[in-house]
Amino acid sequence: MTTIRMVDPAAVSGKVREIFEAVLRRERTVFGASSVSNIWRCMGHSAALVEANWNRSRALMQRGDFTPLQRELIATAVSIANACHY
Amino acid sequence: MRLGVDEIGVTELMGVTEHARALATTGAALLLDSLDRETGLLAPLAPGEASPAVEGVLGEIAAWARTAMGKAAPPALWRSLARNPHYLEATWRKDVALMAPGALAARDKRRVALGVAMATRARYMIEYHTAVLRRAGDTDRDLLEILGVVDHYTTLNTLSEAMQIESDIRPPA
Repeated sequence: MTTIRMVDPAAVSGKVREIFEAVLRRERTVFGASSVSNIWRCMGHSAALVEANWNRSRALMQRGDFTPLQRELIATAVSIANACHY
Repeated sequence: MRLGVDEIGVTELMGVTEHARALATTGAALLLDSLDRETGLLAPLAPGEASPAVEGVLGEIAAWARTAMGKAAPPALWRSLARNPHYLEATWRKDVALMAPGALAARDKRRVALGVAMATRARYMIEYHTAVLRRAGDTDRDLLEILGVVDHYTTLNTLSEAMQIESDIRPPA
């Protein structure tokens, strides 16, 4: 059970809207998403949080010398080690 | 899975992850806090102390450590486990089997193992996997790229756990 209401991507504006559009473009490419994933929607109540984490996501997951697969292997392992279901 | 890894690759990833997590616990539980320090919970077996059965396995580990880590002796982790020959052999055989190249490259598996050690703050195993990766050619920049992924997923895992987010991502049919 989610502890807060998920932000509706259609109801946001400004900076959050702009980032949600970029997130959806990315998620559509990476895993065929049709709407912004819950992890980003839960951050949508705070534009500062969405922006800070999206910038980190781009810096750490979309740039660098490793292949996307190499990064995703580590990401998955960390999520398992942290016992994160999501 | 969309990045081209099949069930075998995913299973390999799970194996490396659970093994790395178990070893991180083992290293910390043995109070081994640095690769170059010999003090811990137990006295690591000294070279002349090994029984013939243990000697064979430790010899394999020594040969591996020379090539893969540039170390003259088997790491204290293995020489501590050597106090129980069955424990040593079963754990070393598992390490060899799981860290060997398969659907995933050996170096990528090692990077995964380092990520797990970092995520679980296991100092000894961070040093251990880093020694292997540096020997294989990983630079500071590579290590920082691994840490970056660990760092960012610590962020996302914290958020999703704290907010109890239900998964909306399904594996492809």
